Amino acid sequence: MALLALFVVFAVLLIIGAPVAIALIVSTIAAAMVVGISPIVVGQQAAADISSVGLLAIPLFVFAGELMLKGGISERIIALASGLVGRFRGGLAQVSVVASTLFGGVSGSAIADISAVGGTMIPQMAKRGYDTDYAVNVTISAALVALLVPPSHNMILYSAAAGGGISITALFSAGVIPALMLALAVMVTAYVLAVKRGYQPEAKVPARAMLKTLVSALPALVLVLIIFVGIKAGIFTAIESASIAVVYAVLITVLVYRSLPMKAFVEAARGAAKTTGSVLFVIGAAGAFGWMMAYLQVPNHAVDAMKAIAHDKLTVLALMVLTLLVLGTFMDLAPLIIIATPIFLPVAKAYQVDPVHFGVVLILAAGIGLVTPPVGSVLFLGASIGKISVMEAVRGMWPFYLAAVVVLALVMIFPQLSLWLPSLVA
Amino acid sequence: MTQTAQAPAHSSPLDHLASACKAIALAGLVVITLVQAWQVFARYVLNNSPGWTEPVSVFFMGMTVMMAAAVGVREGTHFSFSNVLDAMGPRAGKIVRVVLDVITTAVAGLLAYWGFLLAVLSWDVMMAGAALPAGVRYLPFAIGATIMAIFSLERLALRFKGEGH
Repeated sequence: MALLALFVVFAVLLIIGAPVAIALIVSTIAAAMVVGISPIVVGQQAAADISSVGLLAIPLFVFAGELMLKGGISERIIALASGLVGRFRGGLAQVSVVASTLFGGVSGSAIADISAVGGTMIPQMAKRGYDTDYAVNVTISAALVALLVPPSHNMILYSAAAGGGISITALFSAGVIPALMLALAVMVTAYVLAVKRGYQPEAKVPARAMLKTLVSALPALVLVLIIFVGIKAGIFTAIESASIAVVYAVLITVLVYRSLPMKAFVEAARGAAKTTGSVLFVIGAAGAFGWMMAYLQVPNHAVDAMKAIAHDKLTVLALMVLTLLVLGTFMDLAPLIIIATPIFLPVAKAYQVDPVHFGVVLILAAGIGLVTPPVGSVLFLGASIGKISVMEAVRGMWPFYLAAVVVLALVMIFPQLSLWLPSLVA
Repeated sequence: MTQTAQAPAHSSPLDHLASACKAIALAGLVVITLVQAWQVFARYVLNNSPGWTEPVSVFFMGMTVMMAAAVGVREGTHFSFSNVLDAMGPRAGKIVRVVLDVITTAVAGLLAYWGFLLAVLSWDVMMAGAALPAGVRYLPFAIGATIMAIFSLERLALRFKGEGH
């Protein structure tokens, strides 16, 4: 009965448009009342989760990403990408993918990626005769790479939702190879379509100019190294590394690039505060919801249900991935990670799936929903930058969906793709 | 699932409250950054790891989250799935929006009450690492939820006046 109250109240409120956090809290209160627990525990759990030390890195990494976005780092990264891959067929599309991948390593956010790279590349591609739907499709697909590369705050979110016991360094390194595979898959797809549509390569950038763009972009790209090496070497914790990322972003945009006026700094802080409020308030509410799920033994029921319908690891993983793909089409990534992790991770563990490997699979599967209708924030933003409707954007998107799903399947089937790099840096 | 910006388009004392919340949220982020950076500096340069940085950072994170979440209620920017609501007729849509505002107000009011209650109940216990009552930890939650309830009531009032979104 309590289980019914928990999920039915949550589903009904979600469907009629209640904020996710409110739906989570109301359904948890309803379940608490059914089982006879004082509802103040719901408030206590939510407050405890909002004040969790493990989450401190999230607002700071979001802040660093916003600073990089507002500080004009993307222009330098696009110039570097242009020199690296612009000479290939459909050169601007390739530039868009490489620039998204590099910027992802600076911002760790798909939304920041599409705003920064898409904002420049989509209009530029349209101006050079590329079909707008193609430009949007390439850029939004490439933005997904940011979910998997450090400093992806989604990885920290997953670690927090898993109870904080999963190493951030392991997760950061586990995402690198799948991220590069995704970038490569999008590049190959873009190339094949470019040949079919007759898009031309860009002029080759001379070595001297190439070196200049590399030197210009290097200070921004070094950030990911500082974070990764700093945490790994034990120089600072993940939380401290996030504050170092903010300080470093301010230093290079203000002192080196001179591209961050006070107004842009305030805008960046405002944007980061807004994201922090939305994401962490859901985390607090989901903390209470997760506590109630644990109290009602939902993860145990999920494991039993899975055991009844599937017997091997791969089938169970595939079922969970399928569920995440469906849920991802209408749920945002952050709430989905927070809600799905406490249910699916115990199932994965019961089938001896490594939690780090599962994290990468979960984030990629749920993240694909960002570029699918009916609700996909990256798809919406990309279509809006390209000034086309969502339906127009989606019409030619199938090859890119296929590429992303193939990468997802490979990452799911071969755990070594995620676990090899963490084993090297362990 | 979407985030829609729907700020009430009028000027009122609550506009100032919203601006103050945004300023506190923004300042909170800057303080967390500086405190955490200070922790690294103090550890390596001063050879002294301060114990107060963690509780202070957590307090300011709570302030940032709850102030921004309160403004999020006013501006309608919280994660929600609005497709069904958008597809409803104007009359049904308005009724559902009123119901959702009532629920949000009630939840925010409850969270505020619980937050203050928890703060009072744990006030006599001292926080680990800082010479502050443990109840301080619940204050951002209680204050933010109170402001959230006020903003939610404002939205409700605007709907009845026919100005809501």
